[in-house]
Amino acid sequence: MSAGTRVTNRIRELRFQSGEMTQQALADRIGVTRQTVNAIEGGKYSPSLEVAFKIARVFDRPLEEVFHYG
Amino acid sequence: MHDASFEEKSTWIQLASIALALGGYFVIAGQMLRAGVDVLVAYVPVFVLAVVAIVAINVVGHVAIAIASRPGGRDERDRVIAWRAEHRSSWLLATGVLTAITLLVLAVPTVWVAHLLLLSLYLAELLGFATRLYFYRRGMT
Repeated sequence: MSAGTRVTNRIRELRFQSGEMTQQALADRIGVTRQTVNAIEGGKYSPSLEVAFKIARVFDRPLEEVFHYG
Repeated sequence: MHDASFEEKSTWIQLASIALALGGYFVIAGQMLRAGVDVLVAYVPVFVLAVVAIVAINVVGHVAIAIASRPGGRDERDRVIAWRAEHRSSWLLATGVLTAITLLVLAVPTVWVAHLLLLSLYLAELLGFATRLYFYRRGMT
């Protein structure tokens, strides 16, 4: 999924499952810019633990169901 | 560029302002140095003009991008990018400072030392902004 990091994620899939939640809507809920959400989704930026937990909380999933390493 | 965040667009503006204004200063200052102008005060008006140009370009540029897109504020990615870019560019300024001290010990005229310091600051800023843009475009992991 991601090109530059070993941290992968299911954010795009989870957004889709959450009623096509937009990147902007997710960004507003976790307090970052839409471009940062886009960078995280695309594997161009590994978020801080705090932001990772916030994303997991938005989708009501445990962290390890949203992010994977390896 | 249309998908760039406010901070990325701001970085482009800062890079352009430094490159154009201080670049213009160095073109003029270079001609003055070659002409043998060795009084530092003679360079002050040109430098003041360059600073005014930097401020003007930044004000106009930031107003334009604020109108075009909603300023989203700095988030953690912007801060990390700024830190990493500074970490990778600060060596240029440090090298300039150490070289300037060496030149002072060797009693090189202050006009050359001052311009070496300014040049190292200029190059460090250019490298810093360019590195930020690289991280914004290519990603940072």
